[in-house]
This record gives sequence, structure tokens and C-alpha cells, in this order.
Amino acid sequence: MAGRGGNRSRLLLVILLVTSLFLITLDLRGVSLTSKSRSVTQSFLSPIQRGVSTVFSPVGNLFSNIRNFGTTKSKIDDLKRENAKLKAQVIFNEDTSGKLKKLRGALNLAGRAGYTVIAAQVIGKGSASTFSQTITLDAGAADGVKKDMTVIGSYGLVGVVKEVTASSAVVLLMSDPTFRIGVRVARSQSIGVVIGEGDGRFVLQLLDPAGNIKKGDVLLSLGSDGNRPFVPGVPVGRVTSVSDTSASLTQNARVQGFENLNSLGVVAIITKAAAKDPRNALVPTPEPTVTVYVTPKPVVDSATIAPTPTPSKKG
Amino acid sequence: MSPSRTSLSFLFLLAIFTVQEAAISRISFPIAGFSLFLAVLIGMMALEDRRGAIALGFIGGLILDLSPTSNSPVGQWALVLTIVGYVIGTNRESIGDFTTRPGAFVLFVALATALTLLLSLILGALIGDQAGTLGRNVIVILGNTLWTFLFAPLFLPVLSLLRKSMLTSRERI
Repeated sequence: MAGRGGNRSRLLLVILLVTSLFLITLDLRGVSLTSKSRSVTQSFLSPIQRGVSTVFSPVGNLFSNIRNFGTTKSKIDDLKRENAKLKAQVIFNEDTSGKLKKLRGALNLAGRAGYTVIAAQVIGKGSASTFSQTITLDAGAADGVKKDMTVIGSYGLVGVVKEVTASSAVVLLMSDPTFRIGVRVARSQSIGVVIGEGDGRFVLQLLDPAGNIKKGDVLLSLGSDGNRPFVPGVPVGRVTSVSDTSASLTQNARVQGFENLNSLGVVAIITKAAAKDPRNALVPTPEPTVTVYVTPKPVVDSATIAPTPTPSKKG
Repeated sequence: MSPSRTSLSFLFLLAIFTVQEAAISRISFPIAGFSLFLAVLIGMMALEDRRGAIALGFIGGLILDLSPTSNSPVGQWALVLTIVGYVIGTNRESIGDFTTRPGAFVLFVALATALTLLLSLILGALIGDQAGTLGRNVIVILGNTLWTFLFAPLFLPVLSLLRKSMLTSRERI
């Protein structure tokens, strides 16, 4: 009996393994059935995600809030009493003002380049499959969002639209290991490819081994044919270090993205690129710093001035 | 595993998947994320016989494959979790019943989560999937294992009770 049971298990295993391999082959060959099935799932999930997002938004950063607790406990206790009545309102206000700030930044960035954008709120983050890095937005095909549109935040590139349903869109973040984008160095106009590494760090591979690149260089998107998936001129990141690769065919550099992908609340989807390539219009300029020079003024205070010693008379 | 229990398990996994995608995924866990879906699925597989574990692995993998946020080709998670189901089902027979040993159950589920993620990475690499840096992947696997280990005691007893209530009189024997 055990032998027959074992054989049945093995038969079931083989059938299911073959089915899985068949599905993988279909997907890799680009059969649209598989991508459609993901769209159906997204259509089912997006209304739930939208509902949960409203309730869950302040809880999302629970762990980071806990880490910053501790040291000023007594002070927090005082403030807790004071804030008890207004707690719900404060959370709501903070959430809303944070989103407004991000929205203003994204629209400002888009406006400077002349992009036509749709603002969208992040209603889902991450994935059950753990390795891919995505966000879900509350804007979809009904709002004019299409697959392969560029998504920007307040400071630069966020990612690219991967899946679209009627009312939501899934965005592949630029930190995803599968993400690739052609870039040009704003200063030297050398071109290369920026690759996500899965953890917010990026690698730039310069196509020209003799290309000119140095620490602090700003990288802008090169743009794609027909402006999809990438429109030109979007700030991608800043070079933090250049690798010494004299023996290799390409020059590599470490890049820090402009956008903090862990705290995205509101983003903008570029539906139409600018009529003219914005070139370096979006290169971030350092904010002017105010320097105050203080000239010390001598203070004359009779009380602090010691009396001048007078020589004593001898003999 | 009876057909009615298979259908119920499918619906239950679908509900957990919805919770995962709509709520759990929104929490920014330190180190790396936590997949409630993977942990529950592995817990369910650990309570089944070999055939049940294989079938549940395939069903759960297929649900994960249909996730719109998933980057891997459809079928990859089904393949990985079918293999994991077979491995769990085979070893479970030698380990024995988990319902009476909660500590071992939690440890088993946490380690099986790590094995699943590792297998998924290996299979992804074989079919040319880009999977990020080694350091990042190690952190993702360790982080998931840690969170699963910490959270599993909260839901594994519920899983055991649910399964017990769903068993047919013939299966109880």
C-alpha cells in the first residue's frame, strides 16, 4: 500500500512539475494569457488595497517609529496627555501634508520639464514574492495610464508602469534588480546604463571606456524610442564613487538615486513627454545657503574691568 | 487530502494572499519583508501528507505566480513550491506529527521559508532572472526567516485547529 501511495505521490509530483515548466515556457515565450491573468488579479486586489490604504497609511512606518522611541520617554508621556484629544487629527494631518509635499515636488519637477502628468497615490507596496520591488498606484487605464509610462517623484525617477488595470497600476521600482535604464551624464554627456541592485543602490556602466565621469555627476534619463518606457531628461541619480576599472571594457560607478523609494506617498505618471527635450533643465541645483557673519563687538563693562594696578611706593 | 478540503484550502490561501498584498506588504519591516502567505502555506503543507503537501505547494505557488507585483515568469513559484511540498511531505513522515510540538513546528516553518526563497533564487538564476546582489539576497532570506520565526507562533496554532476541524472522519483515523 505504501509503495502504491509513494508511486501516486511521485506521479502527482511529475505532473505538477511538468505543468509548472509548461507555464514558465508559455510566459517566457510571451503568451499574453499569463500577463492577462496578473491583470485580473490586480483588478480584484486594487479596490481592497485602496480601502486598506486609507486605514493602514499611518501604520506603514510602525517599526521605524518604534526604533526612534525610547530616549525621551518622560517627555513623550507629557506630550501624550496633551495630544490625546488631537491624536487622530494630527495623524491625518501629517499624512495629508506629507502627501501634499510630495505631490507639490512631483508636479514642480514635471512642470519644469513640461511633462504632462497624472498624480497618483501609492496604495500598495512590496510583493508577496519578496524579491521584486514594486508599488501599486490608485490610477489606472481609466485615468489615461498605460503600460511602460515613466513614473517620477519629487526629486527624480521612481520607476516604470508594469501592469495596468482600469483603476490601478503596478510600478516596477528603479531599485528592482531587473530594472535597467539608459542614462547620460549631465556634465560630460557620456552615456551608460544604470542597473538596480535591489537595495536602493545602483551601478552605472558607462558604455564608453574613455568616457568622462567623476564623483558628484548627475545622471539623467536618455529617453526611449517613442518616449516609452522612459522620457528623456528625468534625474536618475548622482555618482557617489567611480570604480577603478582600467582593465575592463566599461567604466563602472556607484550611484545614489534622487528619490527615497521607501517613503513614496504620492507620485506622478508621465503621460506625455515634453514637446522639446528638456536636456539639463532638471539637473538639481544646490539650494542657496544663507551665511551669517557675526562680528564680535567688544563689551565694555565697568564691573568686569579690573582696576589698573598702581605701583606701590617703596621707602 | 479530500477534494472539498483542497477547495477550502485554495479559498483560505486566496484570503491570506489578499491580506498579504493589501496590508502586510505595506508595512516597512526592518532588515527585510515578511511574507505571511509563504509562512501560512508552508505551515499548511507541513500538516499534510506527501500528496497533500505537493498539491498545496502547487496551488499556493500558482496563486503567488498570479500576483501582479511578481516579477518572475508565471509557473516559477508553482515549480519551486511543488518541489518544497515534496521535500516537506517526505521529511514530515520521518519527523512525525507537528501538532504536539509547537516549538519544532515554528522552527520547521522558518527554515522551510528560507529553503523556499533560496530555491526560488537558484531557479531564477537558472532561467536568467536578475536577482540583485548576493548581500541583498542573503539579507532578504535571513530577514524573512527571522520574521517568520517571530510571527509563526501567533498563527500556526490557529492553522492546526483549522485543519483539525476540516478533517473528515475517515482522515481522522
